[in-house]
Amino acid sequence: MVEKNAPAVRLGRGFWIVTAVLAILAIASIVFWYVAPIYRWMHLPVAIATAKQVDQLSRFMLATGSALYIFVVGYIVYFAIAFRVRKSDPPDAIGIQIHDNHKLEFWWTVIPAAFVVLLSVLSIKIWYEITLAPSNGLVVEAIGHKWYYTFRYPQVNGEITNAMHLPIGVPVTLNLTSADVIHSFWVPAMRLKNDMVPGLVTQIHFTPTRIGTYQIICTQFCGIDHSLMHQQRFVIDSQANYQKWYHAWQVKNAKVSNALPSTSGASVNLAAGDVAAGKALFAQKCTACHAMAPFTTVKYGPGLLDVLHDPTHPNLVNGQPANPADAAAILEKGYTGTMGSMPNAVTNGLSSQDIANLVAYLNSMK
Amino acid sequence: MAIAAAPHGGGIADHIHPEPQSFVRRYVFSIDHKIIGIQYIITGFVFFVLAGLLAETIRIQLMHANGGFVSPQTYNEVYSIHGSTMVWLVVIPLLTGGFGNLVFPLQIGARDVAFPWLNMLSYWIFPIAGLMLFSSFLMGAPTAGWTEYPPISLEGQAGTSMWAAAIFLVGVSSTLTGINFVVTIMKMRAPGMTFTRMPLFCWGQFATAPLLMIATTALAAALAALFMERQFGVPFFDPTKGGSPVLWQHMFWFYSHPAVYIMILPAFGIVSEVLPTFSRKPIFGYKLIAFSSMAIALAGFMVWAHHMFTSGLAPYLQLPFMVITFVIAVPTGIKIFSWTATLWGGKIHYTTAMLFAMGFLVLFTLGGITGIFLAAIPFDLHLHGTYFVVAHFHYVLVGGSLMGIFSGMYYWFPKMSGRLLSEKLGKWHFWLFFIGFNGTFLPMHWLGLEGMPRWVSTYDPQFQFWNQFASISSFVMTAGILLFFANILYSIRFGKVAGANPWGARTLEWQIPSPPHYYNFKHIPTVYGLPYDFSQPLPYRGLEDELNDTPPPVAAGAH
Repeated sequence: MVEKNAPAVRLGRGFWIVTAVLAILAIASIVFWYVAPIYRWMHLPVAIATAKQVDQLSRFMLATGSALYIFVVGYIVYFAIAFRVRKSDPPDAIGIQIHDNHKLEFWWTVIPAAFVVLLSVLSIKIWYEITLAPSNGLVVEAIGHKWYYTFRYPQVNGEITNAMHLPIGVPVTLNLTSADVIHSFWVPAMRLKNDMVPGLVTQIHFTPTRIGTYQIICTQFCGIDHSLMHQQRFVIDSQANYQKWYHAWQVKNAKVSNALPSTSGASVNLAAGDVAAGKALFAQKCTACHAMAPFTTVKYGPGLLDVLHDPTHPNLVNGQPANPADAAAILEKGYTGTMGSMPNAVTNGLSSQDIANLVAYLNSMK
Repeated sequence: MAIAAAPHGGGIADHIHPEPQSFVRRYVFSIDHKIIGIQYIITGFVFFVLAGLLAETIRIQLMHANGGFVSPQTYNEVYSIHGSTMVWLVVIPLLTGGFGNLVFPLQIGARDVAFPWLNMLSYWIFPIAGLMLFSSFLMGAPTAGWTEYPPISLEGQAGTSMWAAAIFLVGVSSTLTGINFVVTIMKMRAPGMTFTRMPLFCWGQFATAPLLMIATTALAAALAALFMERQFGVPFFDPTKGGSPVLWQHMFWFYSHPAVYIMILPAFGIVSEVLPTFSRKPIFGYKLIAFSSMAIALAGFMVWAHHMFTSGLAPYLQLPFMVITFVIAVPTGIKIFSWTATLWGGKIHYTTAMLFAMGFLVLFTLGGITGIFLAAIPFDLHLHGTYFVVAHFHYVLVGGSLMGIFSGMYYWFPKMSGRLLSEKLGKWHFWLFFIGFNGTFLPMHWLGLEGMPRWVSTYDPQFQFWNQFASISSFVMTAGILLFFANILYSIRFGKVAGANPWGARTLEWQIPSPPHYYNFKHIPTVYGLPYDFSQPLPYRGLEDELNDTPPPVAAGAH
């Protein structure tokens, strides 16, 4: 195959000089991303333990991404200049006719693939810390509303409507749910967010590590005033200040009665159940798995329309007769067995009053 | 008879109907793939202008932290329609219905697509659906963004149902186009045009068409469900009535992630044509570029839930979506490296088409890298729903798809019209657009990192400086786009006559007159090799009569 105007395929000195320059720039960019106090420039302190790991992952990706980008763009610019058509070239001048280079193609497949493996391992490790690492501690609930958040605490009645306070150093499980549409709970200082989905309780776990006041921001469009849903604060207190704040709320809301259960549990007063409140709660926390429809309408669990009044299904999931007291027991303690499973009151964020309300609602449906 | 009339090869559909003479049959209800392609391109750019006006409304509103240009309600309507228009009425129709129709039947040596009447139907659904989408402004447009997550979209104004119906119709149009293109590429290639001799633009379309066919049906189901829930109260998504809001997200992203590849694979194809032509070099690694498109299309079906890491998925379910998304970086990287290597050792001609293709490389690579960032769950849990995401997808969709579209316009405009676009105006267009684009979207990366959420009509005053910077840059970008339209309007009347092959390109469409005849080829050519070997003679036979006055053969059975 005779190729006109085609010099031998070899990389000139210019190529290696450019490669050396790009390598220096790439190393400089890697150093930059590891040294630069980027989050200080951005006024984003590290409020929880895992935020630091997210930052490390970010630095790793910014550094390697920048290095790659410098090489790609650097070569494009260099080739664009070095291989431009010149006035002295004949009009039918053609480039070097090469079609491929298996060695090169092998390496630029294998190196990115190896990088993908490395990035996966790093990400999964941090993902595990954020998502699955077990944490026993305080269970708090945040509820999204149009266009504010409310918070519920163990042994505190009522909902707290201004700032969310948490003590430093105590692991927290934060249950998230919504009273209306999908909201999101984002604290940039935590490098963490999760959606608040109506009908579903989701959880995030973290341990506060830095005393301070941080912004909570909604990042899912939730209606006309979504833009304003960033005004509430997340306060990390010292243990002593947190206790003070917490007791003040306990006193303030002493007359309201829907405190979250403490881990030791609380007695349920079924007679105090309120059907309307139970209905609202059902929509907020049960509908991800259960429909208010006949038993055979299965979503994840069965339909609960006539769960307490269905002669063909006289028993509950645990084999106990379907009566309000046993339903309340399942809501409180949860159930896991051959028939399926049901999360307990701590996971679902149900106070004893909530349980009474839900049972009253279920009992009213037939 | 027809076979006998073709001197070299031929024989496939070598059967020429007379060209319709009435204006309506020729230019309005045409069944000619080239006219339909041009119809798509014109309609697409009309919607592009409308979407651009909406985009500037957004940027003017965000000049000040307190907004004030339009009400929050109007602002929400504006960005929702801006996103929907750009995705469904601009980028997808321009790249598939527009350039797809116009170019790939010529490149594979076919006289038309497999189903010309179906093609006409796909086109005519599209402007009707577009009008329906914009008519939603009259009854209160949707406000929940182009994703329209329920339950908020269930509460949306009446126009939200119109939005669902309009997008459903666009989806029907896309699906039909997908079927048409798959069948055309499978069955109508010229003799000798094997799959491994197809130009890479055809490979781009061949990878895209199944996505159009398969993924769009999931969107249609989701939209039909949303429409039924809004109009007739059928509870698919409302949790209080037994529905699941997360179900919508699964169905929507099962379409909309592949849709990302619908919007980029044809642009990859355009770049893969423009780079070798103006480097006067074969494309580097033809087979890997072709197969990596197929790999991306296939893997594109398995990553949708990476849009839903914050939606409350079971934790372990998130992992495969993250890892498969990372894996897509490998074939995408292969493409970028191969394009870069194509430039090496070339004789690079700086036409405007080439500038846009090189701009594509620079901008799309950045968007691709931030895409890998966002695929990492810990990073996404921080930045999902922020301006970082806005920056990322504009780098991919504007820096990628739209740069590809502009490159294709400068490249194929002579084939459409017979005249060249002005290179001088074109270079102004490129530089204004390139600089303005980076000024608009680069700052959004750190706006997101600092904590600015998406979908906001007002924002924290600390973000005002970079928002103003972005807005002013967006005016520069718009000036570039205005020059582009001025260039088209000027060149279509006064542009330099192009001739058959102004670029010295080697694919089939450049070996026939500009604009091509109604029947494309006098004789269906026979293909002997890849089109990109600049040192070799053209690998086609049967094209001898294309550029002289010989009349086309008329088959005995023709009417």
